[in-house]
Amino acid sequence: MGDMILQLATAFVGSLGFALLFHVKRDRLLLASLGGLLAWGVYLLMGLVTEQDVIRYFVASVCLTVYAETLARAVKCPATLFIVTASIPLIPGGSLYRTMQYFMRSDLEAFSSQALTTVLLAVAIAVGMLVPTAIFQLGRPLFDSAAARRRAR
Amino acid sequence: MEEHSYHFFSPDELSQLSRMENADRANEYLYRVLDIGQYMLQCGGEVSRVEDSIRRLCIAFGAERADVFTITSSIVVTIYAQSFGAVTQTRRITGSAYDLHRLEQLNQLSRRICAQRLSLEETEAALREIVATPQYSFGVQLLTYALISSSFSLFFGGSWLDAAASGVIGVGLKCLDRVIRRTEASAFLSALLCSCLGGLLAGLAVHFHLGDNVDMISIGNIMLLIPGIALTNSLRDMFSGNTISGLMRFIEAILLALTIAFGFALAASLL
Repeated sequence: MGDMILQLATAFVGSLGFALLFHVKRDRLLLASLGGLLAWGVYLLMGLVTEQDVIRYFVASVCLTVYAETLARAVKCPATLFIVTASIPLIPGGSLYRTMQYFMRSDLEAFSSQALTTVLLAVAIAVGMLVPTAIFQLGRPLFDSAAARRRAR
Repeated sequence: MEEHSYHFFSPDELSQLSRMENADRANEYLYRVLDIGQYMLQCGGEVSRVEDSIRRLCIAFGAERADVFTITSSIVVTIYAQSFGAVTQTRRITGSAYDLHRLEQLNQLSRRICAQRLSLEETEAALREIVATPQYSFGVQLLTYALISSSFSLFFGGSWLDAAASGVIGVGLKCLDRVIRRTEASAFLSALLCSCLGGLLAGLAVHFHLGDNVDMISIGNIMLLIPGIALTNSLRDMFSGNTISGLMRFIEAILLALTIAFGFALAASLL
Protein backbone atom coordinates (compact mmCIF):
# COMPACT_ATOMS: atom_id res chain seq x y z
CA MET A 1 0.00 0.00 0.00
CA GLY A 2 2.81 2.38 0.92
CA ASP A 3 4.43 1.45 -2.38
CA MET A 4 1.32 2.38 -4.29
CA ILE A 5 1.03 5.77 -2.62
CA LEU A 6 4.68 6.46 -3.40
CA GLN A 7 4.09 5.39 -7.01
CA LEU A 8 1.05 7.63 -7.33
CA ALA A 9 2.93 10.56 -5.82
CA THR A 10 5.92 10.06 -8.12
CA ALA A 11 3.64 9.57 -11.14
CA PHE A 12 2.15 12.97 -10.32
CA VAL A 13 5.52 14.65 -9.83
CA GLY A 14 6.96 12.94 -12.93
CA SER A 15 4.08 14.20 -15.05
CA LEU A 16 4.54 17.64 -13.55
CA GLY A 17 8.22 17.50 -14.48
CA PHE A 18 7.48 16.57 -18.09
CA ALA A 19 4.74 19.22 -18.26
CA LEU A 20 7.37 21.79 -17.24
CA LEU A 21 9.89 20.31 -19.67
CA PHE A 22 7.35 20.63 -22.48
CA HIS A 23 6.60 24.25 -21.59
CA VAL A 24 3.02 23.81 -20.42
CA LYS A 25 1.75 27.15 -19.16
CA ARG A 26 1.52 27.66 -15.40
CA ASP A 27 -2.28 27.63 -15.10
CA ARG A 28 -2.51 24.26 -16.89
CA LEU A 29 0.23 22.50 -14.90
CA LEU A 30 -2.01 21.11 -12.16
CA LEU A 31 -4.62 19.68 -14.54
CA ALA A 32 -1.91 18.19 -16.76
CA SER A 33 -0.10 16.44 -13.90
CA LEU A 34 -3.34 15.22 -12.32
CA GLY A 35 -3.83 13.31 -15.59
CA GLY A 36 -0.63 11.36 -14.84
CA LEU A 37 -1.93 10.55 -11.37
CA LEU A 38 -5.24 9.41 -12.87
CA ALA A 39 -3.55 7.21 -15.47
CA TRP A 40 -1.41 5.41 -12.91
CA GLY A 41 -4.34 5.21 -10.49
CA VAL A 42 -6.44 3.43 -13.12
CA TYR A 43 -3.52 1.12 -13.89
CA LEU A 44 -3.21 0.16 -10.22
CA LEU A 45 -6.97 -0.27 -9.81
CA MET A 46 -7.13 -2.53 -12.85
CA GLY A 47 -4.66 -4.74 -11.01
CA LEU A 48 -7.60 -5.91 -8.90
CA VAL A 49 -9.36 -7.21 -12.01
CA THR A 50 -6.60 -8.63 -14.17
CA GLU A 51 -2.91 -9.39 -14.03
CA GLN A 52 -2.37 -8.72 -17.73
CA ASP A 53 -0.36 -5.56 -18.23
CA VAL A 54 -1.57 -4.99 -21.78
CA ILE A 55 -5.20 -4.73 -20.67
CA ARG A 56 -4.32 -2.58 -17.67
CA TYR A 57 -2.36 -0.19 -19.89
CA PHE A 58 -5.15 -0.13 -22.45
CA VAL A 59 -7.84 0.79 -19.93
CA ALA A 60 -5.59 3.39 -18.29
CA SER A 61 -4.90 4.91 -21.69
CA VAL A 62 -8.61 5.05 -22.57
CA CYS A 63 -9.34 6.79 -19.25
CA LEU A 64 -6.58 9.36 -19.63
CA THR A 65 -7.69 10.19 -23.17
CA VAL A 66 -11.29 10.70 -22.06
CA TYR A 67 -9.93 12.95 -19.32
CA ALA A 68 -7.77 14.85 -21.83
CA GLU A 69 -10.45 15.28 -24.49
CA THR A 70 -13.02 16.43 -21.93
CA LEU A 71 -10.61 18.95 -20.43
CA ALA A 72 -9.54 20.14 -23.87
CA ARG A 73 -13.12 21.08 -24.62
CA ALA A 74 -13.67 22.61 -21.18
CA VAL A 75 -10.60 24.87 -21.19
CA LYS A 76 -10.35 25.24 -24.99
CA CYS A 77 -6.88 23.98 -25.80
CA PRO A 78 -5.50 21.06 -27.86
CA ALA A 79 -6.03 17.65 -26.25
CA THR A 80 -2.40 16.84 -27.15
CA LEU A 81 -1.30 18.92 -24.18
CA PHE A 82 -3.09 16.71 -21.65
CA ILE A 83 -2.58 13.44 -23.52
CA VAL A 84 1.20 13.82 -23.67
CA THR A 85 1.63 14.82 -20.03
CA ALA A 86 -0.90 12.36 -18.61
CA SER A 87 0.55 9.38 -20.47
CA ILE A 88 4.02 9.91 -18.95
CA PRO A 89 3.73 7.25 -16.19
CA LEU A 90 2.46 4.69 -18.72
CA ILE A 91 5.07 5.30 -21.42
CA PRO A 92 7.19 2.11 -21.66
CA GLY A 93 10.51 3.98 -21.52
CA GLY A 94 12.08 1.68 -18.96
CA SER A 95 10.99 -1.36 -20.92
CA LEU A 96 12.34 0.11 -24.16
CA TYR A 97 15.67 0.74 -22.48
CA ARG A 98 15.86 -2.80 -21.10
CA THR A 99 15.10 -4.15 -24.58
CA MET A 100 18.08 -2.34 -26.01
CA GLN A 101 20.22 -3.32 -23.06
CA TYR A 102 19.56 -7.01 -23.80
CA PHE A 103 20.31 -6.34 -27.45
CA MET A 104 23.68 -4.82 -26.46
CA ARG A 105 24.49 -7.91 -24.37
CA SER A 106 23.41 -10.09 -27.34
CA ASP A 107 21.03 -11.91 -25.02
CA LEU A 108 18.63 -12.73 -27.82
CA GLU A 109 16.05 -14.61 -25.78
CA ALA A 110 15.60 -11.83 -23.22
CA PHE A 111 15.75 -9.28 -26.01
CA SER A 112 12.92 -10.78 -28.03
CA SER A 113 10.59 -11.21 -25.07
CA GLN A 114 11.34 -7.70 -23.77
CA ALA A 115 10.91 -6.22 -27.27
CA LEU A 116 7.56 -7.93 -27.56
CA THR A 117 6.49 -6.50 -24.20
CA THR A 118 7.58 -2.99 -25.16
CA VAL A 119 5.78 -3.01 -28.50
CA LEU A 120 2.64 -4.58 -27.01
CA LEU A 121 2.48 -1.96 -24.26
CA ALA A 122 3.04 0.86 -26.74
CA VAL A 123 0.31 -0.59 -28.98
CA ALA A 124 -2.04 -0.88 -26.00
CA ILE A 125 -1.48 2.78 -25.15
CA ALA A 126 -1.75 3.97 -28.77
CA VAL A 127 -4.96 2.04 -29.48
CA GLY A 128 -6.36 3.11 -26.14
CA MET A 129 -5.85 6.72 -27.20
CA LEU A 130 -7.48 6.21 -30.60
CA VAL A 131 -10.82 4.97 -29.34
CA PRO A 132 -11.96 7.97 -27.23
CA THR A 133 -10.48 10.47 -29.71
CA ALA A 134 -12.55 8.92 -32.50
CA ILE A 135 -15.70 9.01 -30.39
CA PHE A 136 -15.12 12.63 -29.42
CA GLN A 137 -14.62 13.51 -33.09
CA LEU A 138 -17.94 11.95 -34.04
CA GLY A 139 -19.58 15.03 -32.58
CA ARG A 140 -17.46 17.34 -34.68
CA PRO A 141 -18.99 17.07 -38.18
CA LEU A 142 -22.40 17.87 -36.71
CA PHE A 143 -20.97 20.90 -35.00
CA ASP A 144 -19.12 21.99 -38.17
CA SER A 145 -22.13 21.80 -40.44
CA ALA A 146 -24.17 23.73 -37.88
CA ALA A 147 -21.50 26.43 -37.86
CA ALA A 148 -21.43 26.48 -41.67
CA ARG A 149 -25.19 26.92 -41.82
CA ARG A 150 -24.99 29.79 -39.35
CA ARG A 151 -22.29 31.45 -41.46
CA ALA A 152 -24.34 31.00 -44.65
CA ARG A 153 -27.20 32.83 -43.03
CA MET B 1 -11.40 54.15 -67.68
CA GLU B 2 -12.18 50.61 -68.64
CA GLU B 3 -12.28 51.42 -72.34
CA HIS B 4 -8.83 52.94 -72.08
CA SER B 5 -7.27 49.75 -70.81
CA TYR B 6 -8.77 47.76 -73.68
CA HIS B 7 -6.17 49.40 -75.87
CA PHE B 8 -3.50 47.40 -74.14
CA PHE B 9 -5.12 44.18 -73.09
CA SER B 10 -7.93 42.10 -74.44
CA PRO B 11 -10.57 41.09 -71.85
CA ASP B 12 -9.09 37.61 -71.85
CA GLU B 13 -5.64 38.90 -71.07
CA LEU B 14 -7.08 41.18 -68.41
CA SER B 15 -8.71 38.33 -66.61
CA GLN B 16 -5.44 36.42 -66.98
CA LEU B 17 -3.61 39.33 -65.34
CA SER B 18 -5.95 39.58 -62.40
CA ARG B 19 -5.68 35.84 -62.05
CA MET B 20 -1.90 36.15 -61.77
CA GLU B 21 -2.24 38.90 -59.19
CA ASN B 22 -4.62 36.73 -57.22
CA ALA B 23 -2.18 33.84 -57.46
CA ASP B 24 0.55 36.08 -56.03
CA ARG B 25 -1.69 36.95 -53.13
CA ALA B 26 -2.64 33.29 -52.65
CA ASN B 27 1.05 32.43 -52.51
CA GLU B 28 1.56 34.98 -49.73
CA TYR B 29 -1.33 33.53 -47.74
CA LEU B 30 -0.19 29.98 -48.29
CA TYR B 31 3.29 30.88 -47.08
CA ARG B 32 1.88 32.06 -43.76
CA VAL B 33 -0.38 29.03 -43.49
CA LEU B 34 2.70 26.84 -43.93
CA ASP B 35 4.46 28.86 -41.22
CA ILE B 36 1.67 27.96 -38.84
CA GLY B 37 1.78 24.32 -39.94
CA GLN B 38 5.55 24.19 -39.56
CA TYR B 39 5.51 25.63 -36.04
CA MET B 40 2.69 23.27 -35.04
CA LEU B 41 4.62 20.25 -36.27
CA GLN B 42 7.85 21.42 -34.65
CA CYS B 43 6.32 21.96 -31.23
CA GLY B 44 4.70 18.55 -31.08
CA GLY B 45 1.40 18.65 -32.98
CA GLU B 46 0.33 15.33 -34.47
CA VAL B 47 0.52 14.95 -38.24
CA SER B 48 -3.26 14.56 -38.51
CA ARG B 49 -3.85 17.72 -36.45
CA VAL B 50 -1.43 19.71 -38.60
CA GLU B 51 -3.01 18.51 -41.85
CA ASP B 52 -6.47 19.33 -40.56
CA SER B 53 -5.44 22.81 -39.41
CA ILE B 54 -3.74 23.64 -42.72
CA ARG B 55 -6.78 22.52 -44.69
CA ARG B 56 -9.13 24.63 -42.59
CA LEU B 57 -6.85 27.67 -42.79
CA CYS B 58 -6.58 27.44 -46.59
CA ILE B 59 -10.36 27.22 -46.92
CA ALA B 60 -10.76 30.15 -44.51
CA PHE B 61 -8.37 32.18 -46.66
CA GLY B 62 -10.51 31.53 -49.72
CA ALA B 63 -9.32 28.32 -51.36
CA GLU B 64 -12.04 26.09 -52.77
CA ARG B 65 -9.98 23.00 -52.40
CA ALA B 66 -6.84 22.20 -50.38
CA ASP B 67 -4.76 19.05 -50.70
CA VAL B 68 -2.36 18.67 -47.81
CA PHE B 69 0.28 16.01 -47.38
CA THR B 70 2.32 16.08 -44.21
CA ILE B 71 5.02 13.82 -42.85
CA THR B 72 7.23 14.64 -39.90
CA SER B 73 9.92 16.13 -42.15
CA SER B 74 7.89 17.85 -44.87
CA ILE B 75 4.62 19.58 -45.72
CA VAL B 76 3.21 19.78 -49.27
CA VAL B 77 0.10 21.85 -49.97
CA THR B 78 -1.76 22.55 -53.20
CA ILE B 79 -4.71 24.91 -53.06
CA TYR B 80 -7.13 25.63 -55.84
CA ALA B 81 -9.74 28.30 -56.50
CA GLN B 82 -11.40 29.54 -59.69
CA SER B 83 -10.01 33.03 -59.12
CA PHE B 84 -6.32 32.09 -58.88
CA GLY B 85 -5.93 28.57 -60.21
CA ALA B 86 -3.72 26.01 -58.50
CA VAL B 87 -0.94 27.13 -56.15
CA THR B 88 1.55 24.72 -54.57
CA GLN B 89 4.14 25.16 -51.87
CA THR B 90 6.32 22.74 -49.96
CA ARG B 91 8.14 23.13 -46.68
CA ARG B 92 11.02 21.11 -45.28
CA ILE B 93 10.68 20.59 -41.52
CA THR B 94 13.75 19.98 -39.39
CA GLY B 95 14.05 19.49 -35.68
CA SER B 96 11.20 19.31 -33.24
CA ALA B 97 10.88 19.71 -29.51
CA TYR B 98 7.72 19.69 -27.45
CA ASP B 99 6.46 23.16 -26.66
CA LEU B 100 2.87 22.59 -25.65
CA HIS B 101 2.19 26.21 -24.76
CA ARG B 102 3.14 27.31 -28.26
CA LEU B 103 1.01 24.52 -29.73
CA GLU B 104 -1.92 25.82 -27.73
CA GLN B 105 -1.32 29.38 -28.97
CA LEU B 106 -1.06 28.23 -32.59
CA ASN B 107 -4.25 26.27 -32.23
CA GLN B 108 -6.00 29.35 -30.88
CA LEU B 109 -4.62 31.46 -33.71
CA SER B 110 -5.89 29.09 -36.39
CA ARG B 111 -9.29 28.99 -34.74
CA ARG B 112 -9.30 32.78 -34.70
CA ILE B 113 -8.33 32.96 -38.37
CA CYS B 114 -11.14 30.58 -39.31
CA ALA B 115 -13.76 32.34 -37.19
CA GLN B 116 -12.85 35.99 -37.72
CA ARG B 117 -11.23 35.88 -41.19
CA LEU B 118 -8.05 37.65 -40.08
CA SER B 119 -6.13 39.51 -42.77
CA LEU B 120 -2.61 38.54 -43.82
CA GLU B 121 -1.08 41.38 -41.80
CA GLU B 122 -3.02 40.51 -38.65
CA THR B 123 -1.95 36.88 -39.01
CA GLU B 124 1.71 37.88 -39.38
CA ALA B 125 1.52 40.09 -36.29
CA ALA B 126 -0.09 37.31 -34.26
CA LEU B 127 2.56 34.81 -35.41
CA ARG B 128 5.37 37.18 -34.43
CA GLU B 129 3.83 37.54 -31.00
CA ILE B 130 3.63 33.76 -30.55
CA VAL B 131 7.26 33.22 -31.56
CA ALA B 132 8.35 35.93 -29.12
CA THR B 133 6.58 34.33 -26.11
CA PRO B 134 9.27 33.47 -23.54
CA GLN B 135 9.78 29.84 -22.48
CA TYR B 136 10.68 28.64 -18.99
CA SER B 137 14.06 29.97 -17.83
CA PHE B 138 17.19 27.82 -17.63
CA GLY B 139 16.89 27.67 -13.84
CA VAL B 140 13.42 26.16 -14.06
CA GLN B 141 14.65 23.68 -16.67
CA LEU B 142 17.47 22.52 -14.37
CA LEU B 143 14.93 21.99 -11.60
CA THR B 144 12.71 20.11 -14.06
CA TYR B 145 15.48 17.67 -14.98
CA ALA B 146 16.17 17.04 -11.29
CA LEU B 147 12.46 16.59 -10.55
CA ILE B 148 11.91 14.07 -13.35
CA SER B 149 15.05 12.05 -12.56
CA SER B 150 14.32 11.82 -8.84
CA SER B 151 10.67 10.96 -9.21
CA PHE B 152 11.27 8.16 -11.71
CA SER B 153 14.10 6.78 -9.64
CA LEU B 154 11.59 6.46 -6.78
CA PHE B 155 8.82 5.31 -9.11
CA PHE B 156 10.84 2.30 -10.24
CA GLY B 157 11.72 1.38 -6.65
CA GLY B 158 14.96 3.22 -5.88
CA SER B 159 15.87 4.45 -2.42
CA TRP B 160 15.70 8.13 -1.40
CA LEU B 161 19.50 8.32 -1.67
CA ASP B 162 19.27 6.99 -5.25
CA ALA B 163 16.63 9.59 -6.05
CA ALA B 164 18.84 12.39 -4.71
CA ALA B 165 21.82 11.17 -6.73
CA SER B 166 19.67 10.81 -9.83
CA GLY B 167 18.39 14.36 -9.40
CA VAL B 168 21.91 15.80 -9.16
CA ILE B 169 23.02 13.83 -12.23
CA GLY B 170 19.90 15.10 -14.05
CA VAL B 171 21.09 18.67 -13.48
CA GLY B 172 24.49 17.71 -14.87
CA LEU B 173 22.87 16.19 -17.97
CA LYS B 174 20.86 19.34 -18.63
CA CYS B 175 24.06 21.40 -18.52
CA LEU B 176 25.77 19.02 -20.96
CA ASP B 177 22.69 19.08 -23.18
CA ARG B 178 22.82 22.87 -23.28
CA VAL B 179 26.47 22.85 -24.34
CA ILE B 180 25.83 20.25 -27.05
CA ARG B 181 22.83 22.15 -28.39
CA ARG B 182 25.05 25.17 -29.10
CA THR B 183 26.84 23.04 -31.70
CA GLU B 184 25.14 21.49 -34.71
CA ALA B 185 25.52 17.97 -33.29
CA SER B 186 22.89 15.39 -34.20
CA ALA B 187 20.35 14.12 -31.68
CA PHE B 188 22.16 10.79 -31.65
CA LEU B 189 25.53 12.23 -30.64
CA SER B 190 23.86 14.24 -27.91
CA ALA B 191 22.04 11.15 -26.60
CA LEU B 192 25.28 9.13 -26.67
CA LEU B 193 27.24 11.74 -24.71
CA CYS B 194 24.44 12.32 -22.20
CA SER B 195 23.89 8.64 -21.52
CA CYS B 196 27.62 7.98 -21.24
CA LEU B 197 28.01 10.82 -18.72
CA GLY B 198 24.88 9.64 -16.88
CA GLY B 199 26.27 6.11 -16.59
CA LEU B 200 29.69 7.34 -15.40
CA LEU B 201 28.25 9.66 -12.76
CA ALA B 202 25.86 6.98 -11.48
CA GLY B 203 28.77 4.54 -11.16
CA LEU B 204 30.86 7.13 -9.33
CA ALA B 205 27.97 7.99 -7.01
CA VAL B 206 27.67 4.36 -5.89
CA HIS B 207 31.45 4.05 -5.61
CA PHE B 208 31.57 6.97 -3.18
CA HIS B 209 28.48 5.69 -1.31
CA LEU B 210 26.30 8.58 -2.50
CA GLY B 211 23.80 6.08 -3.90
CA ASP B 212 22.79 2.45 -3.38
CA ASN B 213 22.08 1.01 -6.80
CA VAL B 214 23.47 2.09 -10.17
CA ASP B 215 20.43 0.83 -12.10
CA MET B 216 17.97 2.68 -9.88
CA ILE B 217 19.93 5.93 -10.19
CA SER B 218 20.22 5.54 -13.95
CA ILE B 219 16.58 4.71 -14.62
CA GLY B 220 15.61 8.26 -13.54
CA ASN B 221 18.06 9.74 -16.04
CA ILE B 222 17.07 7.24 -18.72
CA MET B 223 13.47 8.39 -18.55
CA LEU B 224 14.72 11.86 -19.47
CA LEU B 225 16.55 10.60 -22.54
CA ILE B 226 14.61 7.59 -23.81
CA PRO B 227 12.15 8.29 -26.66
CA GLY B 228 9.21 6.51 -25.03
CA ILE B 229 6.74 9.19 -26.05
CA ALA B 230 8.04 9.11 -29.62
CA LEU B 231 7.59 5.32 -29.73
CA THR B 232 3.99 5.52 -28.54
CA ASN B 233 3.21 8.42 -30.86
CA SER B 234 4.73 6.58 -33.82
CA LEU B 235 2.30 3.71 -33.29
CA ARG B 236 -0.52 6.19 -32.87
CA ASP B 237 0.45 7.80 -36.19
CA MET B 238 0.47 4.44 -37.94
CA PHE B 239 -2.87 3.41 -36.49
CA SER B 240 -4.45 6.67 -37.63
CA GLY B 241 -3.31 6.15 -41.20
CA ASN B 242 -0.09 8.18 -41.30
CA THR B 243 2.10 5.19 -41.97
CA ILE B 244 5.16 6.99 -43.36
CA SER B 245 5.39 9.45 -40.48
CA GLY B 246 4.83 6.63 -38.03
CA LEU B 247 7.57 4.49 -39.54
CA MET B 248 10.04 7.37 -39.58
CA ARG B 249 9.37 8.12 -35.93
CA PHE B 250 9.42 4.45 -34.97
CA ILE B 251 12.84 3.86 -36.51
CA GLU B 252 14.20 7.09 -35.05
CA ALA B 253 12.97 6.06 -31.60
CA ILE B 254 14.53 2.58 -31.88
CA LEU B 255 17.87 3.97 -33.04
CA LEU B 256 17.88 6.59 -30.29
CA ALA B 257 17.06 3.98 -27.64
CA LEU B 258 19.86 1.80 -29.00
CA THR B 259 22.28 4.73 -28.80
CA ILE B 260 21.30 5.39 -25.19
CA ALA B 261 21.75 1.74 -24.21
CA PHE B 262 25.13 1.83 -25.96
CA GLY B 263 26.10 4.96 -24.01
CA PHE B 264 25.29 3.40 -20.65
CA ALA B 265 27.04 0.16 -21.62
CA LEU B 266 30.10 2.19 -22.63
CA ALA B 267 30.11 3.96 -19.26
CA ALA B 268 29.80 0.63 -17.43
CA SER B 269 32.77 -0.80 -19.31
CA LEU B 270 34.87 2.29 -18.56
CA LEU B 271 34.32 2.04 -14.81
